[in-house]
Amino acid sequence: MKRSPRPRTLFIVGWLIVGWLLLAATGLSGCSPGLTTHAAPFIDLQERTPLPVAAPAEVAHLRMGVAAILSPQGTMTSYSALAEYLSRKLGRPVDLVQRRTYAEFNELVERGEVELAFICTNSYVVGAEKFGMELLLAPEIGGESVYYSQLIVPANSPAQTMADLRGKVFAFTDPMSFTGHIYPTYLVQQLGETPETFFRRTFYTYSHDRAIEAVANGVADGAAVDSLVLDYALQREPGMSERLRIIHKSEAFGIPPVVVPPTLPPRQKALLRELLLTMHEEAEGQIVLRNLGVDRFIEIEDAAYDGVRRLVQATGIR
Amino acid sequence: MSASNVSTDGVSAMASFPSRRLNLWAEKIWRIAGGVNVRTKILGMVLALTTMLGLAVTWQVRAVMTHVFADELENRGVSVASDLASRSIDPILLNDTYALHQLLRETVLNHPDALYAFVLNSRGEVLAHTFGDEGFPAALLNSQAIEASYNMHGAIRHWVYNSNEGVVHEMIAPIMDGKAGVVRLGLTEKRLQAVIDAVTGQMLLTTLAVAMAGIVAAMILTWLLTRPILDLVRTTQAVGRGDLQARAPHWAEDEIGTLANAFNQMVAELEASQRAIAEKEQARHMLLKKLITAQEEERKRIARELHDGVGQVLTSLMVGIRTLQRSDVAQQEERFDELCAIAGETLEQVRTLSRELRPSLLDDLGLAAALERYASEFARAYPGVQVDLHCALPSRLPTPTETALYRIVQEAMTNAARHSKATVISVLIGQRNGSVQAIVEDNGVGFDVDAVRRRQSSVGIFGMSERAELLGGTLDIESSSDGTTVYAEIPL
Repeated sequence: MKRSPRPRTLFIVGWLIVGWLLLAATGLSGCSPGLTTHAAPFIDLQERTPLPVAAPAEVAHLRMGVAAILSPQGTMTSYSALAEYLSRKLGRPVDLVQRRTYAEFNELVERGEVELAFICTNSYVVGAEKFGMELLLAPEIGGESVYYSQLIVPANSPAQTMADLRGKVFAFTDPMSFTGHIYPTYLVQQLGETPETFFRRTFYTYSHDRAIEAVANGVADGAAVDSLVLDYALQREPGMSERLRIIHKSEAFGIPPVVVPPTLPPRQKALLRELLLTMHEEAEGQIVLRNLGVDRFIEIEDAAYDGVRRLVQATGIR
Repeated sequence: MSASNVSTDGVSAMASFPSRRLNLWAEKIWRIAGGVNVRTKILGMVLALTTMLGLAVTWQVRAVMTHVFADELENRGVSVASDLASRSIDPILLNDTYALHQLLRETVLNHPDALYAFVLNSRGEVLAHTFGDEGFPAALLNSQAIEASYNMHGAIRHWVYNSNEGVVHEMIAPIMDGKAGVVRLGLTEKRLQAVIDAVTGQMLLTTLAVAMAGIVAAMILTWLLTRPILDLVRTTQAVGRGDLQARAPHWAEDEIGTLANAFNQMVAELEASQRAIAEKEQARHMLLKKLITAQEEERKRIARELHDGVGQVLTSLMVGIRTLQRSDVAQQEERFDELCAIAGETLEQVRTLSRELRPSLLDDLGLAAALERYASEFARAYPGVQVDLHCALPSRLPTPTETALYRIVQEAMTNAARHSKATVISVLIGQRNGSVQAIVEDNGVGFDVDAVRRRQSSVGIFGMSERAELLGGTLDIESSSDGTTVYAEIPL
């Protein structure tokens, strides 16, 4: 009875509170290093330096342009092997240059920013007329150098001719594309209409493989595409043939050529021509050609594109 | 003082651990736990429980959240990075640096945890980044650290580093299997860490609040628990000081309430027995007084008896003997016979007196004979009362028992004859089950036994009881208008 319990009570309660705070503090700080606690290196994100400007290349790169016949990714897949092949043969790096539209691409050729170009027939027809774009070679496939425009619809579509696509959604590839824009416009004009009135809606996919995808996926009720691209797509994706149907095939036109800008030095032009012409004669070149779906490259005359010129003039599209 | 004794005992009882150190600790803990009052114990329990529970739950939630968030951050980073990689293919291949920059900028803007994003081409040159105009943190381009510590999520590499922005998770996603370059996306843990910290803080606050509420609840509980105990203690102290009127208040029907009830009952019984003792003491006191008076009365009576009876006779005897000297022979003879008769009468008077004081028969022949003698004398003294005496004793009893029973029967019979107007008195003496019983029954008018006992006026009744109780026996009196029975039992 001598000792009073009160100071002792306060003492104990005090210790309990102190203990609680300590525990709370350790509880808070215990996990604070982060969600992951393993030792990680330190990087100072505040220490900034200007990005190094790419030093001018000691060796000039060959700039090989490919017009957006295929999607950028498809082009990369198909043409990177060719670029590597040429790089090895020429002993200098080859850059693969792409642009979104044919028009942009033609400007590249006109300014000489690409030294070698794979382009669409109409691009050549326009380029040759506008700034003297020069034909270099053309691919040969199955013994001929022609291609077609093919009208495709989804597999379940009842359409049999272009006339059946009235009031539907139609996918064009590029405003300058011959097979993808000029030829279907020509077909519509033959029906006495214009695409603006004939179709409910049209849109541009800016590449043939995307137009095929658009039809196969039902985004568009119809599209006209490059037969070379379509064959390649059907060959590479077996399921594709079940998803779409070809309802029309055009007459044969000259195949999309390989061109050079008019400003390219003749020696370099001759070197490139020689290289491409003899590609199929060696095993390495054959693999690259097979990758492109091409048998070989051959010489071609400008007259091969007269059919295209005629149709372009008929439609009045420039 | 008593508390310290208890705690020392407790320690010695508890000290059973094999290790001396453990024993010391147990002793220390018991000192603290046993030394504080109940209030502190309950407070301690409540605080310890709520705190432990709160902290354990907080800790657990924090750990789970950290784990879940880390996984989530990683998965989100992987999906955002692979999305970025596939969406940056076209801008890269088409050399559309602005579109690429926009893509990165919008991705970082739209993801709260994204810190930065940048794209390297296949030659390791930065095509676009979101660090703005101040330049690029060159340290990020050093790939040694990445090579040392990354793990794969499909095609995407994930590695972690510390920076002045905190821990950064970087996802490195190849574009077109690396042919078109890589996109690198930095995610910071800051936001998720802040969420976890906020939740932790909230939970700790909640724990604190609950602990506070617990303290209040414990205080109320303690008050409820200790109030009756403290009342009980106060009552005990009051009873200890001799206040038998004190009663513990009955708070509730629980164990403490039962204890209070038992305590109150005990005090009530204590009070009753105390009162009984006081009453008995008073009765004894009165008895003693009456006894002394009665002794004096008895002495007076004997003195008077001797003076008036024996003294008168002896005086007349002396006068007779004087006259005998002076008378003639013939007269002498006549006077002599006269004097002899007077002497014989005197002798008889002395004998009666002696017997009344203490019947020698009781000592010589026992209870049965003494009572028979008394009964015959009683019949002579009260001719209107019929006495039936049955005395069935196989042997002599101890002298104190015989004396007590003789006096009890004598008193009962005298009372019956004097006060009850009885015409028949039956006396029964028997021995059974190791004790001897005496029953005195009359057919008188009876009396109020309790009233007489309460008034303590009857020395006779009290004396009978005292005689029986002195020998460890009992004495009961039942009385009604049909008669009175006195029942005495004395163990042998």
